[in-house]
Amino acid sequence: MVLTPDFDSRPIISFQHVWKTYPTGTEALRDINLVVPEGDFLFLVGPSGAGKSTLVRLLIREEKPTKGKIFVEGVELGRMKRRQLPRYRRKIGLVFQDFKLLPNLTIYENVAFALRVLGEADSIVQSRVAEAIDTVGLGGKELTYPSNLSGGEQQRVAIARALVHAPRFIIADEPTGNLDPATAWEIMQLFLRINARGATVVMATHNREIVDLLRRRVVAIDAGQVARDDRSGRYHDDVSKPHIRAQ
Amino acid sequence: MMMFRNLIFALNSAWQSFWRNLAVSLAAVLSITLILMLAGINLLVGHAFSQVLDGFRTKVSEMSINVADGTPLTTVYDFQQQLSSDPRVASVRFITKSQALVNFQADPNNAVFAQQIDGNPLDAKLDVRVNKLDDVAAIDAMARKWSGVDPTDPTNYQGDFVFRMLQLSSWLGIAGVGLMAILVVVSIVIVMNTIRTAVYHRRKEIEVMKLVGATEWFVRGPFVIEGIMTGLIAASLALSLLVIAYQPAVDRFHSDVGFIPLSYDPSFISSLALDLLLGGAVLGAMGSYIGVRRFVRI
Repeated sequence: MVLTPDFDSRPIISFQHVWKTYPTGTEALRDINLVVPEGDFLFLVGPSGAGKSTLVRLLIREEKPTKGKIFVEGVELGRMKRRQLPRYRRKIGLVFQDFKLLPNLTIYENVAFALRVLGEADSIVQSRVAEAIDTVGLGGKELTYPSNLSGGEQQRVAIARALVHAPRFIIADEPTGNLDPATAWEIMQLFLRINARGATVVMATHNREIVDLLRRRVVAIDAGQVARDDRSGRYHDDVSKPHIRAQ
Repeated sequence: MMMFRNLIFALNSAWQSFWRNLAVSLAAVLSITLILMLAGINLLVGHAFSQVLDGFRTKVSEMSINVADGTPLTTVYDFQQQLSSDPRVASVRFITKSQALVNFQADPNNAVFAQQIDGNPLDAKLDVRVNKLDDVAAIDAMARKWSGVDPTDPTNYQGDFVFRMLQLSSWLGIAGVGLMAILVVVSIVIVMNTIRTAVYHRRKEIEVMKLVGATEWFVRGPFVIEGIMTGLIAASLALSLLVIAYQPAVDRFHSDVGFIPLSYDPSFISSLALDLLLGGAVLGAMGSYIGVRRFVRI
């Protein structure tokens, strides 16, 4: 059963009967219907290979759906031309499990990179980067290189980079996957703060404790389908998925 | 302003990448220097041959129409007038029998022969200079139909020689263009592979650029500039070496093969410089553009 939340805010993301079949024949997603209202905080959960990453790739338009439509702020991603993609991606803040920081740039330069790409003036770069680094609590480490930081600190830098251009929504793919539980929790606090400021957050995660503690919206993907969409859900649906409970 | 900032970013990035991958960059510079030197030699040899050919062309585009003895002067003047008004003809000069003899005797090559001739066996003639080598045959055909032409020896036109000259010059042109085409392809492939190596080293940076919303040109710009830089450095090196070697090479050629009138032409150096620098920049840009295209597609 597919549940569509009846939130009052207008949808920022909407998947309509989306299918994704890779050229190898693998059916990664099957008939996905999903509406994400503005300001939502949504966890995408499910076993590895369920289709979460494919869903994220579709959202950042690294892939196109085989069938169906994806709308972001009213624009259909499948119809978007290649030259329109950079403008679209500037609206998104992306955070990955492996941080994707550039090792030869300092923390400051890594965060500034997202603004340099946009061709922003030095004065704007300076003030926004300082603010973003402060937000993630890394003030004073601007001139450090990523290799001298812990995993949690590196993820903070990645989040600062994702935030620095004030995106409308944040997509995070397993952002706590490489972090110990205490650090993972700190990173989650950051995402909550970002969400509280109005940004929509879509997060694919395997972190059961965090999902269960926060009780936010949970969309469970299983075998390429939306198995569950709970407004304040848990990682496992104990009633309908006994085989997951057994894990 | 934003474009200017992007340009500064691209220049910085290209400069850093050039030095960061110095070994690969230098290998590319040296390979392209070699290719541009070959291209420069091709241009210089082509220029020298075209100078020699121009000399030959001037000679063969001049022909003499022999006038039969007893032809009334008015007939000659009429035909001279007809030739002068022909757009294919540059100039016509009438040489009388006595002038022809004077000219013949004045030529030191004819000194012995001139003493032995009795009377004036030479024809009066019309010396015609034709604008284009290709039209000499047509003017010759026209002259042979003229009533006043000497039927035993109408003109000094040697069709076969002119044809061979034309053929030689067109073959040389084709060979030059063919050689240039090969050099262009080879240098593009070299730049392409160099830039691919640089792109491979920086693939993570490119991935991040794309994810934060860089346009394709923003990603590609630094690589194209790096390619142009490589091409320009190589062109400067090649040009310096060619300029140093040009005059000694021509002198050496003169002493070895004196009968071919090759000459040192310093005025050609500026045109060579322009060709090589422009060629280096364009080849560098094209090589990088192609090399990087597959990797930066968003």
